[in-house]
Amino acid sequence: MLKYITLLTFSLIVFIPNSQASENNDWLESYNRSMFEFNYQLDKYAFKPLAKGYRAITTPDMRYRVDSFIDNIREPLTVVNHTLQGNIKETFVSLGRFLINSTLGLGGMFDVASGWGLKKNLTGFDDTLAHYCVPDGPFIVVPILGPFTPRSLASYTADAFVSPMYWLPRNDKNYADKISFSYAAIVAIHARERGLDLLDDIERGSVDYYSTIRSAYIQNRQKLNNYCSHQNQNNTPSYDFDFDVDEEFEFE
Amino acid sequence: MKNFLVIFITTFFLMEIHNTHASVNNLEAENFVKEITNEGLTEIINSNVSQKEKDERFAKLFNQALDLKYIGQFVLGRYWRTASPKQKEEFINIYRQLNVQTWSKRFDEFKGKEFIFEGTSPSNSANQIFVNSKVPMDEGKPATVIWRVKQTGDKYKIVDIIIENVSLAITARSEYTSFIKNSPTGIDGLINNLKQKTQQN
Repeated sequence: MLKYITLLTFSLIVFIPNSQASENNDWLESYNRSMFEFNYQLDKYAFKPLAKGYRAITTPDMRYRVDSFIDNIREPLTVVNHTLQGNIKETFVSLGRFLINSTLGLGGMFDVASGWGLKKNLTGFDDTLAHYCVPDGPFIVVPILGPFTPRSLASYTADAFVSPMYWLPRNDKNYADKISFSYAAIVAIHARERGLDLLDDIERGSVDYYSTIRSAYIQNRQKLNNYCSHQNQNNTPSYDFDFDVDEEFEFE
Repeated sequence: MKNFLVIFITTFFLMEIHNTHASVNNLEAENFVKEITNEGLTEIINSNVSQKEKDERFAKLFNQALDLKYIGQFVLGRYWRTASPKQKEEFINIYRQLNVQTWSKRFDEFKGKEFIFEGTSPSNSANQIFVNSKVPMDEGKPATVIWRVKQTGDKYKIVDIIIENVSLAITARSEYTSFIKNSPTGIDGLINNLKQKTQQN
């Protein structure tokens, strides 16, 4: 399954070389809206209740430990990507963090390394591809997974392959898939729990939930695209758009 | 003579660009946002008054700090020009009401937090400037909050808030124009929908 997603996303990147996610260029809108609705219903009846249940049976401190554990699992991926981005100092910081937190931090549940001055600075393939100016591609809603761009989907897949939770259990074929899928489920439910309040709040105030999520997602990614060294020559931030209105309208 | 003309014209344009940005007083704009956030934190979030009183104080501060008439015109995009005066007035009023309600709740999340201000950045729009700030979070990196401030005479108003690179004005514009485009009821449908939202909240 992962191989097919990788093939599909890399194909999209290759065939849409100069396209950037843009609200005015949502040529997949019809498909995206249908898939968004499908995901919304799936979330409403499956993921959201699971996330609420997870919140009900755990304390904030327990969730904080889960968060630290997941972040620690991401450290090897961070090491690889800091290296690919040519950031040698951060490579060693991440490596040190992983070794310290995996042992003294009880598998990453406690962030001992931060107390020793090794601050968390997670990165992934998406940052690396952005660093080398790989185009983002159009906004696309992926079944079950949600909003992506071809680049972010390709990166998400590559991140999953590099994760220790994918390659460590490979030695034991009886448990490999069970461990990998269980971990993926924990990550998904934990992430959904973190977004519960914010997404509920956005949905309550929104008249077109799809457009709101699309706009916020695309704008947030512009920050990542600024990593591209060529784009940095133009220092205008994405939020500095032309904000002039007529102001002819007066009433009290 | 030709070189002299080129130098003259270039200097003139450079002075014009400089004047556009220099017309906004950086320090005063930053102080304006600082005062607003301080008042919000001390007089509303951390004050020991009833929720009703907090909501009233928030509505007053919100209307004093933000130019919602200006933002409302922007978020309707090209549909602003085709709207009737009645629709314009109704939209601005309901937009104001919805924002006050939404942000009154969201603002509570800043309890126990502080804004760290980091100076200003110029804007390409005339008489506008960005005030940069960060909010340290309980975990992870601090959240970036940028305030777009417009100066009119010696008065300042916030016209956009950018949280983690997401502009609230652009997001609202995308949402509202998309709604109008896809709805047979147009601007009236949007106004009615916003009214329903304010009643649900």
